[in-house]
Amino acid sequence: MRTTVPVIIAFLSGFAMILLFFISPEHSKIGTVELEPEVLSWVTIVGGFTLLLGVVSILRVNYVAVQRKKEGWIYNLATLVSIFAMAIPAILPESWSPLLGTGTGSIYDWLFNNLDAPMMSTMFAMLAFYIASAAFRAFRARNAEATLLLITAALVMLWRVPMGEMLLSGIHESIPEKINTYIMNGANLAVQRGILIGAALGAAAMSLRIMLGIERTYMGK
Amino acid sequence: MTWIEFVQIWIIAFFTISLFSFLYKDNPFYRIAEHIFAGLSAGYYVGLVWHAVILQQMINPMTEGGKWWLVIPGILGVLMFSRFTKKYHWVSRLPLAFVMGNTAGIFILSELHGKVIPQLRSTMLSLNPAQGLEGFLLALIITIGVISTLIYFYFSKEHKGTLGAIAKTGIWFIMISFGAHFGYTVMARISLLIGRILFLIDDWGGSIIWLFS
Amino acid sequence: MSIWMILAYIFLIVFGAWLLYKTFRTGDRRFIYLAVGFYVVFPILITLDLPTSISPEAEQLYDAVDTLPDSSVVMLTFDYYPSTLAETEPMSRAALHHLFRKDCRVVTMTTIPLGGPSIAERVTREVADEYDKVYGIDYVNLGYKANYVAVLKGMGTSIKKIYPTDNSGTPVSEIPMMEDIRNYDDIDFIFVVADNAIVDIWMAIVNAQYDIQVGTGVTAVMAPKFFAYIGSGQMTGMLGGMKGAAEYEALEKQAGTASKGMGAQSLVHLFIIVSVMVGNIIFFFERKPGDKK
Repeated sequence: MRTTVPVIIAFLSGFAMILLFFISPEHSKIGTVELEPEVLSWVTIVGGFTLLLGVVSILRVNYVAVQRKKEGWIYNLATLVSIFAMAIPAILPESWSPLLGTGTGSIYDWLFNNLDAPMMSTMFAMLAFYIASAAFRAFRARNAEATLLLITAALVMLWRVPMGEMLLSGIHESIPEKINTYIMNGANLAVQRGILIGAALGAAAMSLRIMLGIERTYMGK
Repeated sequence: MTWIEFVQIWIIAFFTISLFSFLYKDNPFYRIAEHIFAGLSAGYYVGLVWHAVILQQMINPMTEGGKWWLVIPGILGVLMFSRFTKKYHWVSRLPLAFVMGNTAGIFILSELHGKVIPQLRSTMLSLNPAQGLEGFLLALIITIGVISTLIYFYFSKEHKGTLGAIAKTGIWFIMISFGAHFGYTVMARISLLIGRILFLIDDWGGSIIWLFS
Repeated sequence: MSIWMILAYIFLIVFGAWLLYKTFRTGDRRFIYLAVGFYVVFPILITLDLPTSISPEAEQLYDAVDTLPDSSVVMLTFDYYPSTLAETEPMSRAALHHLFRKDCRVVTMTTIPLGGPSIAERVTREVADEYDKVYGIDYVNLGYKANYVAVLKGMGTSIKKIYPTDNSGTPVSEIPMMEDIRNYDDIDFIFVVADNAIVDIWMAIVNAQYDIQVGTGVTAVMAPKFFAYIGSGQMTGMLGGMKGAAEYEALEKQAGTASKGMGAQSLVHLFIIVSVMVGNIIFFFERKPGDKK
């Protein structure tokens, strides 16, 4: 029951999708309801609920930390307050006040555009410092392969910026074009194509395993 | 610039600098900003799911369009939360299986039809001598690169002899591609920093000039 | 070049060299951080504008959009998180300028739960206002729906089924522009701006199964992977990272933040290359004889 039913559901829903691929939408209707988009809209609805699972987890972890006054609990409190500050005005009806809901000019919209988005951008912007430091400290031509990687990286970094492109063109005017042709659209394309084909075959095989109930790790323990 | 915009810019600047302060060392400003960010992101999901999923995809079509059957995916969605219980956590497998099954069904065909076949076709058809020497040589390089990369990632047989030599060729190709990847990654990270510095100079700096003018 | 610019360049080189020397002497990585920060701030302060060359991939995308008949229907996606706004927002803006200038009807959507709908709403409205475009007639923001595989596949048969309403909750059936847009058959071009693997799904499902042209603007981290789709002819042009955005801005003659950032991008790249070279020279001389590793 606990594993057989999910396996049957996975098989039937996967099989239905394969079947619907070969049937035109006009011939796959129940009454006036088109089967494929109807089922897929169900998938999007269920998928939406999964987003809330993460929110519940964050709430639980932070609530426990505050309740037990763990070290740094004040930060957990800030997380809890932020969650409610964002969520409560968002779910209240817009008809009560233009500050409610998620539309332009709402608290939700303001908090996102002026706090959440800039902070997320800044978090990732900090990676620029780390990657520069890592390159200086660890990027070494230890052997032939590493040297090839290093030279390619340097050429591509030069080629992709105006000043570097000018430098390369100064050496020989055809160098930027050759980098695009032979590195990006040559060796790089070949490797990416190889990886793409391999990964796609793997994904198709994994999908088949899920449908047939061989792969069950998604069910958890 | 209005005073509201001024305050808005200063709030953004405060949190931006608070986060950047971590580069010097860990400090309370960074940690509070980090936790507020995490909270706001989680809160964003609540508002989004409430409007985009629960209201727009379920409640409104049910109440206004009479689509009562949408209660089924709604129930499946709610069943997801059973994973937080000890006794009934297995029930969450039902909606998960529904989503995974559908996605798997779509993937089996799309991965083969949309990726493997077009990529193989392109590799094979590009070896057309009629396109001229340079084009043919490039196509040949690509073909060798694709085959040697695939062989490098083929682990069911030991890389010895001919197979080893081809796999070795694959490594050279892979190094070139990963080098290009590294170059592009550096570029990406620097771009993100430029975005924030542009804000600090143009907007925040502009607000300071506005204040004194 | 003025004497001030020459002095500025000399200052740039000397200061960078000093910071590298300090990093090497002290082992404190914060000197590298300082150098990176300096090389980003300085060119922006002195407004170092550099000409942007156009890559064949960007040109292909621009030409594909440019040759669309006026008032075509184009789907523009905002498949990116706020973390990559610096790279992707200029792409969306440049694309919107191009599309609205051509009087195309624009359908925007997103598969990103964190910020996607808000970014789409803000950016599209800002650019649309410049061209006096009216919501519901010239453009529509469908917003977000979960599980992107199902969303992309489902829209092949019925957009209305997947998106019963637009982002603000107005039923799609009540939006004039959407009257004759039922599925991908009614869309002339898809312009995907993304920072993640969703691009693969756009190619493998939408392009391959519904035979619709898909052009992309992607972050630099993603770009090398997608040369495979360009080579196979599946993808109609690509913008790679901030440079790609600057290329589209240059083609559209709408200089924006991407073009503005190219000076800083150039200098930091040069600094990183020099620092790697210095690091390798030190490594080479410090290596003990016979030490292969």
